[in-house]
Amino acid sequence: MAALSGLSGLTAFVRRAPAGGSPHRNLVLDYADDLKLFRGPWRKLGLGLLIFLYLWAPGYFSNYVLGVLTICGVYAVGVIGLNLLTGYAGQVSLGHAFFFGAGGYAAAYLGAQRDWPMLLFLPAAALIGFVVGAVVGPFALRLRGNYLVIVTLGLVFLGEHIWKTWDSVTGGGSGTSLRGASVSIGGLDFRELEIAGSSYEKEQGMFWLVWAIVAIVALLAKNLVRSRAGRAMQAVRDRDLSAEVIGVNLARYKVGAFAWSSALAALSGALYGIVTNRLETGIFTLFLSITFVAMLIIGGVGTIFGSILGALLVSGGQQLIARNSSAFVFDPIIIASPGDSGFLSIGEFNNILFGLFIVVFLMFEPRGLAALWLRAKAWLLTWPFSY
Amino acid sequence: MIAAVLADISQSDLLRSLVSGFALGCKYALVALGFVIVFKATGVINFAQASFVLVGGYLTFNASETWGLNFYLALLVAMAGGAAIGMLLEALVLRRMIGEAPFTLVMVTIGVLFIIDNVVTAIWGPDPKNLGDPWGLNVRTVGDVAIADRDIWTIVFTSAVLGAFFLFFRYSSLGLAMRATALDQEAAMAQGISARVVYRVSWGIAGLVAALAGAVLSAGSAALGPTVGLIALVAFPAMILGGLDSPLGAVVGGVIIGIVQQMTALLAPEYLEWAGQGFELVSPYLVMIVILLVRPYGLFGTKEVRRV
Amino acid sequence: MKRHTWSRPLALALALALTAAACGGDDDDSAETDDSGTSAETGGELATVPGFDGTTIKLGVITPTSGPVALIGEPLTAGNKAYFDYVNTELGGIDGKYKIELDIRDSGYDPTKAGQEYASVKENTVMIAQLLGTPIVNAILEQLIDDEVVAAPASLDSFWVREPNLLPIGGPYQIQAINALNWYVTEGEGEGKKVCSLIQDDPYGEAGQAGLDFAAEELEIQLGVTARFPVGATADAFTAPIGQLQGDGCEMVFLVSTPSATGAALGEAVKAQFAPQWIGQSPSWIGALGASPLAPYLQANFLVASEGVEYGDTSVEGMAELVRIKDTYAASQQPDVYFNFGYLQAKAVTALLEKAVELSDLSHEGVLRALEELETLTFDGLSGDYTYGPADERVPPTKSTIFKVDPANPTGLSLLERDIEAPFAKDFEFTRVDE
Repeated sequence: MAALSGLSGLTAFVRRAPAGGSPHRNLVLDYADDLKLFRGPWRKLGLGLLIFLYLWAPGYFSNYVLGVLTICGVYAVGVIGLNLLTGYAGQVSLGHAFFFGAGGYAAAYLGAQRDWPMLLFLPAAALIGFVVGAVVGPFALRLRGNYLVIVTLGLVFLGEHIWKTWDSVTGGGSGTSLRGASVSIGGLDFRELEIAGSSYEKEQGMFWLVWAIVAIVALLAKNLVRSRAGRAMQAVRDRDLSAEVIGVNLARYKVGAFAWSSALAALSGALYGIVTNRLETGIFTLFLSITFVAMLIIGGVGTIFGSILGALLVSGGQQLIARNSSAFVFDPIIIASPGDSGFLSIGEFNNILFGLFIVVFLMFEPRGLAALWLRAKAWLLTWPFSY
Repeated sequence: MIAAVLADISQSDLLRSLVSGFALGCKYALVALGFVIVFKATGVINFAQASFVLVGGYLTFNASETWGLNFYLALLVAMAGGAAIGMLLEALVLRRMIGEAPFTLVMVTIGVLFIIDNVVTAIWGPDPKNLGDPWGLNVRTVGDVAIADRDIWTIVFTSAVLGAFFLFFRYSSLGLAMRATALDQEAAMAQGISARVVYRVSWGIAGLVAALAGAVLSAGSAALGPTVGLIALVAFPAMILGGLDSPLGAVVGGVIIGIVQQMTALLAPEYLEWAGQGFELVSPYLVMIVILLVRPYGLFGTKEVRRV
Repeated sequence: MKRHTWSRPLALALALALTAAACGGDDDDSAETDDSGTSAETGGELATVPGFDGTTIKLGVITPTSGPVALIGEPLTAGNKAYFDYVNTELGGIDGKYKIELDIRDSGYDPTKAGQEYASVKENTVMIAQLLGTPIVNAILEQLIDDEVVAAPASLDSFWVREPNLLPIGGPYQIQAINALNWYVTEGEGEGKKVCSLIQDDPYGEAGQAGLDFAAEELEIQLGVTARFPVGATADAFTAPIGQLQGDGCEMVFLVSTPSATGAALGEAVKAQFAPQWIGQSPSWIGALGASPLAPYLQANFLVASEGVEYGDTSVEGMAELVRIKDTYAASQQPDVYFNFGYLQAKAVTALLEKAVELSDLSHEGVLRALEELETLTFDGLSGDYTYGPADERVPPTKSTIFKVDPANPTGLSLLERDIEAPFAKDFEFTRVDE
């Protein structure tokens, strides 16, 4: 922020300098520039590339890769939500699995039992998440740091109990099916997509659906954090007392951050439901909450694209290892099948790696993968004067 | 109302649940004491305490069953091992994280939890084991109430640790140094107190107490397994209830949670049927949330003073 | 913002990508038809399909290899592996020529993780040879149906009987409970005694209870209290349930639990000086219990309802073969009931694959069709005959075995009575999950 405000002080000077032309570098010249989402030709190119990838991937990759990527996308929505709360507003939570579950069961109930169309039940699930988050949010006003961590942890256990007990909505211990829930917009059924005479499989349709939602959510989140609300949230994160002194309404932004974050968690849970077609109480455990936080940390706290990277790496990376567990690098370590050489089962190896990643990132790169990228970019942009 | 409730439940059931709630509470307290000492000295909520407990149980098993040591000797070995692991963790990881945000520290210890737990199952395997404790199924009967030997030992250990903490913090120079560091790190350093030593010792003590808890929790029939450490998740409410930095609070909180849980188990099926099966399992969290709304720093916790 | 500067490349990218995607889909289709075409021409050879490259059949195994349930997953998988090794080495593979290879994935007993592993494994395997645990099967069932993939569940839930995508083995939990109660009342000196139950509070517990309720109705007896305990309960969680059972004057308690809960529950019963006749559902037992301080109490008061014969009873044909195969291919494995289950499961999977090869289609749909045409399988005395075929017409085994505790035996159990069968066991109606 400091660098940007310094630059805007120079605006008047830079404006005049290239006499009608444009500056040779992609500088932020005025406030409107600062607000642009896709600034400069490179970003536009990048955007074009992403859109191309989005449309092209389902035809190129196998259904398996698409399935993995789709689940990554589902998680990404939830991680973006957690990022709003933790990365931007500085409030901590181990309760994401609870909101994720609330959204999932809302989708199951409204979509499969009440036959609502997708365009209604997805927003409704998010809305339910929003309301639940707004109810829980006030705890953040009264509790801070460690106390908040434990209370949100308690929420996960309360949630698990509710899901087990409330059979009529959740199906109790044996779970509930979302097969009956419609996954179509207008005439487009994403389970069996047909566009202009070509038909696509379920994996392709779901990939498009989920990643479209990821894109929308990422844009909304990006919009939110660069607005007044976003700056207020960051002020609360950096020091809530000072923020209050300069006129930020703490109650509004802390509760608001909880509400938005859990709305996205709920949306993510609803997507999880329609992708896997079945919800089961064993899904919404503390482990899921921890996974969300791990994705956030490894991807990068405080950047939206970091959230997506984290979801891809944590969820996709484990798959990569499991698929290659008998490869020769892993051979001396992993017991791929009974009687094999090695000393760790695949699960143990993955879990240890998961723990190591969390520890190593927090110790050596607390801002995650995104920071690595930002540093590389800064190096390139300032070349040949990069040091 | 209470009289009406009690009329329906037999006296002996009530007494039995009270006693078993007290014993259960002491188990929570023993685990919570390990949390508290680390928090008091370093401000870290140590999720890896759960894996310290697990390691403690397996070390005791290894020393008593595999090496064939006397059980109490094995327990001492496990305590030493637990302390060593606690200090090692401090030196390797936590030492480098001083001054980070609370949540970062919590996540680091969660990462460590994943590593240690899986190393433990890789070494000892996932199948349940018999600890080889001398307590077995021995039961002492006092009037109408039976109490198991291992429960008596739990109560003894918890009281002993609480007493030791009290003496340590009050009379030993190291204990005083820890209190001073906890109050104001800079002022303590100005007095010549080494924060390094204080941090390392507190992690060591946490490991030591956890080993004791691990042994007590894995006594019984085929009771030592990878889930032994999970009790730490219920020790959280106990610790929060008492206040994060108070050893006495941890014990009081533990006992309250234990008794609440056993009384809920006894009464809920009859009077709280709508709350569903297994309501006693979540009752600690409900109690915790209610108490926190009334007293944000628990029953005995130090109120944090925030200066602008 | 000037929109048109980037709307053109965008439109271009869109058009390009959509064409590519559509082509991709077409390519796949044409590739598949090509394959079947060539195979038809060469005649007799099996078409290569995902998981089958013409020589090797790949099977997925989704099982916990980490966490507490690994204690079941590991021996069970070893049982799978030992049998398939035997098929590969001594029989030359399926149909004498196609070797079997396992792709083992960790579920951690976590439905989300299992779901991801399933998505990853289904594309390069012919079927799932082991899917461990009721909640895991539950979580993945819908996807199996969507993908037309067959899986063999390592769980005795009765719902699996009627699922066309599942290849269950063994008598379901309900059948164990029905036979156990009938045996207790008619032969086990239990006439007129008060029968109660202590069940885990989840679908597994409900399954046992359903069997008990059914048998009680047929036998026209009144059941006592049903006490419940939560999943993952430790000793202290049993104070109230044991008090409940004791207070109700129960003389027999049917126990639906997992091994660690069994130890905790019975420890609490000893403390309360409560000694009814316990009969445990098969997963309630593990060998370590026989070596625990509980052993004397267990010997006096505890029985297990399960299937098959005592480990090492080589007078039974199936057991002789199992012991030989275990000693040859899994020598370091301790005798274990879950190993036996895995072994039998692999046997059923082998039979299914033989059928699919006979119908010359190893594709996912082909295996599903083969399952529908699979007839009765016998397990040589280790488990009752299972009649497969269309899911609506399947008949699971209805015989059970009662074991008593015997610390001298490697599995801690010895035979009390074999092949007991309640006259009404066959009348129990199996339904699907959501019915």
